[in-house]
Amino acid sequence: MASYRPAQAPFVAFKRAVSRRRFLAGTGVLLALPMLDAMTPAFAASPAPAAKPRRMLGICNNLGLVPDYFFPTGKGKDYKPSPYLELLQAHRDDFSVFSGVSHPDVDGGHPADNCFLTAAPHPSSGGFRNTISLDQFMAERIGHLTRFPSMTLGVNCARGSRSLSWTAGGVMIPTEERASEVFRKMFMGGSEAEVRAQERRLQLGQSILDAVGGQAGELRRTMGARDRDRLDQYFTSVRELEQRMQMSKEWERKPRPVATTPAPRDPGSPKEYMDKVRLMYDMARLCFETDSSRAVTLMLDSVNTPALDIDHVHTTTDGYHSLSHHGRSPKKLEQLKQIDSMHMTLLAKLMTDLKAAKEDGQSLLDRTMILYGSNLGNASAHTTTNLPTLLMGGGFKHGQHHVFDTENNYPLPNLYVSMLQRMGIEADKFASSTGTLRGLDFVG
Amino acid sequence: MTFRAAILGLLLLPLGAAGALPLFLEKHCVECHDAETKKGGLDMTALKSDLQDPKSFAAWVKIHDRTVQGEMPPKKKARPAAAEQAAYLGELSARLLREDAARIAAQGRSVERRMNRFEYENAVRDLLQAPWLDIKESLPEDTEAHRYNKSGEALDVSHVQLQRTLTAAEEALRSAFVSSVAPADTATRRHYARQQGSYVGKMKFSEFNMSPERATFPTLGFKGQPEVRAGNAPATVGKADPILRDEEGVGVVHGSYEPVEPWFGTFRAPQAGRYLIKLCGHSVWVGPGKTKSKGQVRWQIPDLDDISKGRRAEPVTVYALTPPRVLRRIGTIDLGADVTVAELDVVLKAGESIQIDVTRFFRSRPGPSRAQNPLATPEGQPGLVMRWIDVKGPLAPQWPAAPYAVLFDDLPVKAAPKGAALPYAVTPRDPAADAERLLRRFVRAAYRRPVSASEEIRFLPVIQGALKSGSSFAEAMLSGYAAVLCSPQFLYLREAPGPLDDHALAARLSFFLWNSPPDAELRAMADAKKLRDPAVLRAQTDRLLADARSRRFVEAFTDYWLELRKAGANDPDSVLYPDYYLDDHLLDSARDESHETFAELLRGNLPARAVVDADFVFVNERLASLYQLPPVEGVKLRKVSLPAGSVRGGFMTQAAVLKVTANGTTTSPVIRGAWVMERILGRKPPPPPPSVPAVEPDTRGAVTIRQQLEKHRTLESCASCHTKIDPPGFALESFDVMGGFRERYRALDGKTPEVGIGKNGQAFAFHNALPIETYGELDGKAFKDIRDFKRLVAADERQLARNLVGQLAVYATGAPVGFADRAKVEVVLDGAQAGRYGVRDLVRGLVTSELFLNK
Repeated sequence: MASYRPAQAPFVAFKRAVSRRRFLAGTGVLLALPMLDAMTPAFAASPAPAAKPRRMLGICNNLGLVPDYFFPTGKGKDYKPSPYLELLQAHRDDFSVFSGVSHPDVDGGHPADNCFLTAAPHPSSGGFRNTISLDQFMAERIGHLTRFPSMTLGVNCARGSRSLSWTAGGVMIPTEERASEVFRKMFMGGSEAEVRAQERRLQLGQSILDAVGGQAGELRRTMGARDRDRLDQYFTSVRELEQRMQMSKEWERKPRPVATTPAPRDPGSPKEYMDKVRLMYDMARLCFETDSSRAVTLMLDSVNTPALDIDHVHTTTDGYHSLSHHGRSPKKLEQLKQIDSMHMTLLAKLMTDLKAAKEDGQSLLDRTMILYGSNLGNASAHTTTNLPTLLMGGGFKHGQHHVFDTENNYPLPNLYVSMLQRMGIEADKFASSTGTLRGLDFVG
Repeated sequence: MTFRAAILGLLLLPLGAAGALPLFLEKHCVECHDAETKKGGLDMTALKSDLQDPKSFAAWVKIHDRTVQGEMPPKKKARPAAAEQAAYLGELSARLLREDAARIAAQGRSVERRMNRFEYENAVRDLLQAPWLDIKESLPEDTEAHRYNKSGEALDVSHVQLQRTLTAAEEALRSAFVSSVAPADTATRRHYARQQGSYVGKMKFSEFNMSPERATFPTLGFKGQPEVRAGNAPATVGKADPILRDEEGVGVVHGSYEPVEPWFGTFRAPQAGRYLIKLCGHSVWVGPGKTKSKGQVRWQIPDLDDISKGRRAEPVTVYALTPPRVLRRIGTIDLGADVTVAELDVVLKAGESIQIDVTRFFRSRPGPSRAQNPLATPEGQPGLVMRWIDVKGPLAPQWPAAPYAVLFDDLPVKAAPKGAALPYAVTPRDPAADAERLLRRFVRAAYRRPVSASEEIRFLPVIQGALKSGSSFAEAMLSGYAAVLCSPQFLYLREAPGPLDDHALAARLSFFLWNSPPDAELRAMADAKKLRDPAVLRAQTDRLLADARSRRFVEAFTDYWLELRKAGANDPDSVLYPDYYLDDHLLDSARDESHETFAELLRGNLPARAVVDADFVFVNERLASLYQLPPVEGVKLRKVSLPAGSVRGGFMTQAAVLKVTANGTTTSPVIRGAWVMERILGRKPPPPPPSVPAVEPDTRGAVTIRQQLEKHRTLESCASCHTKIDPPGFALESFDVMGGFRERYRALDGKTPEVGIGKNGQAFAFHNALPIETYGELDGKAFKDIRDFKRLVAADERQLARNLVGQLAVYATGAPVGFADRAKVEVVLDGAQAGRYGVRDLVRGLVTSELFLNK
């Protein structure tokens, strides 16, 4: 409890990696309009404009799940659910579970949570520097298609030291902890002055690109074919970036979607951890329903969570972190099991809700990949191998237990490459990946 | 047969209708290399004779080379008559030469390229005179071609690349501006260890950490302070007693690693710039534990109240820390048994703090057993105490500092009103005139060649537009400058086919030897058109090499040539190599050693044979112990002469190289062999066949990789390549994954594990298994071990030099040594022969060669 420090910075991390996009804006006016159609971009450079919108929610619970109750037995389609997976069986065909996976060379126990979506090696060693996270990699490529290139959310995050989103330069994007603030940004937006400031910033960027792109003709004339090809790549990039900035700018004046639910009330205490998790799932769902962003991350900083209220009836005797070092104490394990079960129940609800939401006649779940996992395989021993990993929805052939070597783990970044490709992003490598995840197929 | 001949004749027609070619091929090659047999994947009947096609050109070069080397036709086939073969080779090489020369004349050897991210960072740092700028990590990693990041065909640009470049440029300009107006602090500030929550907080045990070896402890002078540690006395005497306060310290017996990572959080660099940092500390001796458990005294557990004077100096790595956990190594120091004050003169980024790591100390990681300190003895264990750090800075000869003058000349500057986009406001005397004047100045400094008066103000509309839409003068100027830093004239190295003009030559020279654009003197030489004078060029080469910036060349070149940049990948396995696992200092030292060695080859103009065989190494205490050399003390690398018969000396037996060529768990003669062939001996190894799985070492210990390979080589199709590739790797089997000398393999299985405790505090669990065998045969000459092998390869000094020139040529020009370039390389070699191919002579020879002087 003593170590808990609520997030005070009113910083919202719905930003792209471009600095001029650092400030948010909106009209501050609520207008009625059909939600998703209004968000369809006027034109798109990539992926193909006709492509189905695909989305990602990446969740890390930095204390993981008790492995004995999580990992199922048997493999493939006929696996036998574990106690935890029992709670997800209503959605059996909409998720996959993985065992024997981890991030190569990502060691160091707790500090590895910041690498959950980056897979940068050695988070505890000297000379460490984080690398770009999966959501930011996506945002760089498809961020211009939505109002917010990405959203970085958190629950109980130790201020300024925990986040799943990192820029290419290894700079942390702070989490937004308040559901009400997420709601406000999505449905209300900033002041007119903020809108103007943001527009001016993008305008400046455009004028720079316009100027550097304006000399294509003169330069090309003086070059041989082979050299010209190289320079043409530059000018093509200038045009593509200009288009993206134009689209980003247009978002500033586009009316916001209408809220159909009242703004949420933020739980006041870190003890209300589970309520916060549920609310953030709701915010992520709203974000996808309104197509406000397609890349959302959520860090559940369980390490920084005190004794918590599990279900409005039961409260744990010890802090979450303390429980995780259960030392096989039946009392502690039982409470951990209750917490973990509530995590599963909330995930099941999220899947139910996303299934109920439709887009072009397809369920939103089928277009939303949800990655749930942890940097710790066994929090009690701080091991960073055999990570509990679930992938839900998003257009994959699910219903399987993918079994890999528990002694010599399979690289989890391969799953990220699969997710990128499912997003329609041309990528064959992410961090220490060696390919796409073996045996995971696309559907739909 | 006739049919085939007809086809072949036709195909070869453009190569020259008459002559020795088709006949020779028909007689000696096509039997195996036709559409049906396609031996070695080569079908000559399908091979295009169009030499303008790069693929068929390369195929013909290969045919030429393998015939010259006598590999083809194969030994068991009838030999062509010498005269017949000479005529064939003569004609083929003449055609290849003609074609290659024509291509070079028309297009140049290299293709237009942009700066890579290292060059870009250096270019912006040099231009803005802001060495703290941190740019390269924000840009996408550059892809490589011909093993280097210097070739246009690999240096792509995408909208992501451009977006990141633009962002990086804007942030760099902003940082240069805000850090150079005025110093935030001018006084020297002392930060006591006792003021730091992260030092003092760890004195107390918590639910999550009850281990004394992972706690900190208070000291006064060289004594412990039980009352302070117990919380019965104040944590510090504070300001009341400055003399006593200076004697207070906080100690550790554990390396800096989660959860014990104390840092000087009361200091955060208020702005980017140069800082002087003094670190005060000393080693101590911490008494053994006295408690008993199961009848045994637990001496391993330190008694944190039983402190006495240290018994030796402790090596310490100093990091600049950006919380939560970005660590940048800024120095290494030794803190002695007496109170030591070490000084560092460093460049810090805004917001950075200071953290230290005592490099010998263990880093407790969980494992099967309770972590134990490997340095603990029944008499106690070493500890290190920090007392305080003094920080002075940011420092500059005058304020506003140099970057300000680059951006705004001598225009007055003052604090901006609250809420402005930039913290300072620049006041122009005449906004329109100043904007134009400053932009012209900036463009002239940024672009590497003179540009027209209209080109200088190409980006004036950006500035004018920004001013019109309400930006401040400074903001508007920075936007214009950002455009300059993203423009093709800045990003791309312009070279036209044929002889390089003076400015292109100046750029090529400085990007070669400094990894950054030309400085004023080099620019002046180019302006005066003096640079193509060989004497001037040589003098400039020497000047650039003598400058501190040549360190960038040393590091950038060796990081690619020897792949040192990958030395951190693939951790030493925590079970098989717990003595290397988590040892950052060892890895840092190893990389430093390889860099320093290449610097020495250049400095001393040492013969190229020193690449494989030298009588010296650069070591510090940690490396000397890894290499089993007579002990030296401290963190600093120093040149030491090797004892007679040492296996060390030369790059092949350096820790960084041996680590790069292993995977942290096992070594493979195939991988090391191929690596040595290509990078050191300059012979391109044949690519691995696509369908055959690699032969992987087995860590269980019952069979060696050599035994597995011998089985593999009984297949004729495998043997032909492996007899070429494996031998260097066999010689290097004496070295483990970190470059330690070994006589046996380590394995997971066995009866009794070796005795010891790893750096992670875990008892050894590996076993010594089968003995190493290192004998082999290279080009028909037998060797029995690495010493023999080195002698064999060092004998062909010219080949070692030829390889080095080839590697340098790709790095310097972006293009590999092509068919028509071979003779030019020989000219360089001839020039350096008298000095036994001194490495500096080779660099000077390359710079004045046709390869370098032409695109």
